[in-house]
Amino acid sequence: MTIVIETKDLCRYFGDSEETMVKAADHVNIEIEKGEFTAIIGPSGSGKTTVLHLMGGLDNPTSGEVELSGKNIAKMSGGELCDLRRDHIGFIFQSYNLIPVLSAEENIEYIMLLQGVKTSERKKRVKEMLALVGLSGLENRRPGKLSGGQQQRVAIARAMASRPDIILADEPTANLDSKTGIALLDVMKELNEAHDMTFVFSTHDEKIMSRASRLIHMRDGKVELDERK
Amino acid sequence: MLLIKLAFRNIFRQRRRSLLTALSLTGGYVLSVFSISMQDGSYANAIAFFTEDHSGHVQIHKDDYLDRAKIHKTIDNPNAIATILDKHPSIASYTTRVFAPALSYSDDGNTPVQLIGVDVLREKQTSRLYQKITDGNYFADSPNDDGYFSAMIGAGVANSLEVGLGDELILISQGADGSIANDIFIVSAIVGENNSPDKNTVFLPLSGAQSFLTMYGKVHQFSILLTDISDAREVATELQSSIPSLSVAPWQVVESSFYKTMQADREGNLVMLVIIGIIVFIGVLNTVLMSVLERSREFGVLKAMGSRPSKIVSMITLEVTMLSAMSIVLGLALAIPLTYWFSTAGIELPEPVDVGGIKMSRMTGLLTPTVFIIPMIGIFFAAIVVSIFPGLRAANVTPTAAMRSH
Ligand SMILES: Nc1ncnc2c1ncn2[C@@H]1O[C@H](COP(=O)(O)OP(=O)(O)OP(=O)(O)O)[C@@H](O)[C@H]1O
Ligand SMILES: [Mg+2]
Repeated sequence: MTIVIETKDLCRYFGDSEETMVKAADHVNIEIEKGEFTAIIGPSGSGKTTVLHLMGGLDNPTSGEVELSGKNIAKMSGGELCDLRRDHIGFIFQSYNLIPVLSAEENIEYIMLLQGVKTSERKKRVKEMLALVGLSGLENRRPGKLSGGQQQRVAIARAMASRPDIILADEPTANLDSKTGIALLDVMKELNEAHDMTFVFSTHDEKIMSRASRLIHMRDGKVELDERK
Repeated sequence: MLLIKLAFRNIFRQRRRSLLTALSLTGGYVLSVFSISMQDGSYANAIAFFTEDHSGHVQIHKDDYLDRAKIHKTIDNPNAIATILDKHPSIASYTTRVFAPALSYSDDGNTPVQLIGVDVLREKQTSRLYQKITDGNYFADSPNDDGYFSAMIGAGVANSLEVGLGDELILISQGADGSIANDIFIVSAIVGENNSPDKNTVFLPLSGAQSFLTMYGKVHQFSILLTDISDAREVATELQSSIPSLSVAPWQVVESSFYKTMQADREGNLVMLVIIGIIVFIGVLNTVLMSVLERSREFGVLKAMGSRPSKIVSMITLEVTMLSAMSIVLGLALAIPLTYWFSTAGIELPEPVDVGGIKMSRMTGLLTPTVFIIPMIGIFFAAIVVSIFPGLRAANVTPTAAMRSH
C-alpha cells in the first residue's frame, strides 16, 4: 500500500506560558494510505481541525513531521507550502468555500488556472467534475444562488479538478441538514470508490462517521483510538 | 480572462462604494487635466505673444551680446548667415536688427530712447511691428529726397518730445567706431500706446541705422521664426553647430527670466496636483482597505487553494487599476469636450492677468495629448502604489485564522 500522508510525533501547541499552553495536537502519529476514506472524530476542541490543517500544510507544527508522498512538509517555507497545496492537496471547509462573485464553473476553473492548466483542458475538466458531483446544468450559478449542499458539491468538484493526492475536509457537512449531509458524503464515497481518491474528513455526526472505512478518535490533541472497519 | 472577470465583478460587488470612488477619481482626473490645460495654455499664449511680437523663436548674436549688449559685438557677415538660414527647412522667416541707446531731441525737449534698426521688409514677416503702428505709415527702406531716413517712434517718445507725423527728430548716439553719431530723421509712424513696452523705442530702417552708427553691413541680431515653436531648442542646437563663431539661443534662453518663472510656476502647480492626488487616493485607499478586510475569508480560501501571496497582491492591484481605468474613461468623456471648449472659446477675464510679465485678457486652454496623458499616468501610478498596502494585508491573511473565524 502507498502511504499518502504520514505524521510523526506531530505536535502543535498554542500559547506561550506553561499554564496557558494548549496542546491542540500532541504527538500525533497517523498514516493515511492511498484510497482510504477516513473520518477524524472527537469532541469539540480535541484537535481535529488542527491536525487537518497540519496535514494539508496550512499550518506549521511546533514539532514533529508531516510527510506527504514521502516529502517532509513540516519545514517547508510559505511559498513551497503554497505550491504544495495547489498541486497535491484539496481542501473543503465547513462553509464559505467558494468565491461569491464567480459562478460554479468559474470557481472550479480558478484552481486549474493557478496550476497553469490549458484553457481547453480546464473547460473539459469543469464539465466532468460538475457531472461527477451531480451538478450538470448549474454551472453558471453563483454560490449565492446555490443551496448549502450544492455549494459543498462545487467545493468537492473544485478539489477534485486540481487532481490532488488527497482531499482534506473539515466538517464538510456541519452546516447541512442531515439528509443533505449524508447525500454529500455519498458523493465523496463514490469518488473515493470510483476514482480511488483519498479522503480525510472530520465530523461530529454519528451517521456521517458510520460511512467511513476508518475512524480516528481524538481527545485533547491525542489519538485515542484508530480503528479500521 | 477569468482574472479580469474576477476583478471586474469584485469592483461591482459594492456598487455604490465603487461608484463613489470612481467619481472621486474622475473628478480628480478632470480637475488635473483642466488645470494643466489652463496653465500650459496661458503660458503657450504668453510665449506665442512675445515670440511673435518681437523675440522670435531663436536668436543669433555675437558672443555674449544677449547678456551684455555692446555696440561692437556685431555679426559681421549677415549674408553668410542668411544663406544658412534660407536652407533650413524648419525656419519660417527671419530678420536682422541693430540696437543702440540714443538721446532724442525735438524743439520741445529731449528723452533717452532705445534705438532699433530693422530690416524693413523682413521685419514685417517676422514680428508684429507693422501691426503695432497706431498712426502713420510703415517706413521705407531708403532716405527721402532730402537724404533723411524715416523713423517710427514709440508713443511715449512722441508725447514727451511733442512730435507728430512728418516732424523732424534728432538722434544723438555713439557710433561703433567711437565717433559721435547725430542725424535728423522724419517721423513716419507712431508705434503702440503710451503704456506699451515699445513706448521709448525708436525704430529705424536697417540701412539708416547702420550708417548712423557707422556699422555698415553689420548687425547685432538675427531673430528667427520657426514653423513650429517646439523645435526651438533643437533648431538652435543645429544652427549652433553650423555657425560656431556666433551664439545661437532658443527663446527659453533669450527670455530666460520668463522661462524660469514659468518653470517655477509649473512646479507649484505640480505640487498642487500632487496634493489633490493624495487627498483623492487616501479616499481610494480607505475603500480598498475596507473591501479587503471584508473579504479576508475569501483570501483565506484562495491561499488554502495555493494562491501565492504575490498573486493576491496583483489581484487587488488589478482591481484598483481597472477601477482607475474606468474612472479615466469617464474622465476623458468629460475632459475632452471641456478642454476642447476651453482651448477654442476660452474664458474672457474680467481684468487682464499678468502671465510672466505679459498681460492676458482672455484665457484659453491647451489641447494636446500631454494634457490628458500626464494625469493619466499619475492616476495609474498612484493606483498601483495605493493598492500595495491593502494587497499585502490580503496576502498576509493566514488561511487557518480565516477559516476558523466562522
Ligand atoms: N489559533 C489558536 N490559538 C489558540 N488556541 C487555539 C488556536 N487554534 C486552536 N486552538 C485550540 O486548540 C484546541 C484544538 O482546536 P481545534 O479547532 O483543532 O479543535 P476541533 O477538534 O477542530 O474542535 P471543533 O470540533 O470545535 O471544531 C482547542 O482547545 C482550541 O481552542
Ligand atoms: Mg474544528
